Amino acid sequence: MKRIVLSLLSTVSAVVLLFGYHTSTSGPAATAQAPVGASLSTTSTTTSSGGAGGSGAGGSGAGGSAEGTGGTTVTGGVAQTRWGPVQVRLTIDTTGTITDVEVPQYPAGNREDEQINSYALPVLVQETLDAQSADIDMVSGATVTSDGYIRSLQSALDQAFS
Amino acid sequence: MITTAAPVGRYVDHVMGMPVSLALRGRHTDDRTAQRAWAEAMASLHEADRVFSTYRVDSAVSRLARGELTVDQCPSEVAEVLALGELARRQSDGAFDVRRDGVLDPSGVVKGWAVERAARPLVALPDTDVCLSGGGDLICRVASPDSPPWRIGIEDPADPARVVAVVPVRCGAVATSGRAHRGDHVVDARTGRAPDGIASVTVVHAELTSADIDATAAYAMGRDAARWLRTRPRRTGLVVWADGRREVVP
Repeated sequence: MKRIVLSLLSTVSAVVLLFGYHTSTSGPAATAQAPVGASLSTTSTTTSSGGAGGSGAGGSGAGGSAEGTGGTTVTGGVAQTRWGPVQVRLTIDTTGTITDVEVPQYPAGNREDEQINSYALPVLVQETLDAQSADIDMVSGATVTSDGYIRSLQSALDQAFS
Repeated sequence: MITTAAPVGRYVDHVMGMPVSLALRGRHTDDRTAQRAWAEAMASLHEADRVFSTYRVDSAVSRLARGELTVDQCPSEVAEVLALGELARRQSDGAFDVRRDGVLDPSGVVKGWAVERAARPLVALPDTDVCLSGGGDLICRVASPDSPPWRIGIEDPADPARVVAVVPVRCGAVATSGRAHRGDHVVDARTGRAPDGIASVTVVHAELTSADIDATAAYAMGRDAARWLRTRPRRTGLVVWADGRREVVP
């Protein structure tokens, strides 16, 4: 098990951006938009399939379903998230078009996870790096498909460590 | 040469036309427990493919698009994914839309959502750090605050063999959208055209589902990408413009 890392990132001149980054931990202003993001992300925790079972979330998948005038309303279960309870309800008309989305329950406030923010700022590297010189574990990119995988940076990383 | 402190277990497989790469550090890297969790993760992705693939004529989404099923006749996660798509459409002022010219294609929501769901058995591994990538969108977890962060390279949209930035992530998600992703398939739903002036958008957020949606929505907005991303709560990101300039969104 050897790493292919040949030169440390510290030998590359990196630009750490320092401008006004705040951790958005505090205050009502910071939470003003929170419900939107929270509801988007936490609906995914309401799915029950996937093998992990319980997960402590109080949610179920699409729970109630009721015929209303002009369509169907599907209400997701209430998921207990770290931001508080979240629930999503959508209305679908007879042609299958979503005509309304409501968020009947969302957290009023939040405790921001500082751990995520305090480490998650991208650091620009002044010279582009390749797999041989970047001390990286995984690649995030838009071109990562099975077709191109064999020639990809990710493929090099996967092989180097196995 | 550097000797490694923590051995990393690596796994690769393919589903939905994308490679799935897994890295594990800690107690369960290559034992039966780790292998079982990996198998569960892949099974979850195959299940998502059966339900959501627009390439499979018999998937629930394909049947829904043809009008053979209604939403509430589909597995419940279909309604969930459609709701996510609808919220994204509203939040992006219509730039992101799972329907175009009346044709349903929720693929822009499904990938991040499916990878996030698939990661659950892996994240549940005790005392184990996890980094799971589905086609370049990934989830990171570490078992202890003392664990080193996963170091995620952000691909250079002009040269996929290179990275333009590195983001260290302990617990969180990273998603990237760009024009190179299976051709020119991301368009601004308001104009039907490929966005202008932009090469890729990377979003870092607590959860992959919304990171992936936001990366796609921001990319679809073209020159407005960075401005819009700044309005999104608790995200950071990187925009690479068509001329190669890189802009960190704090």
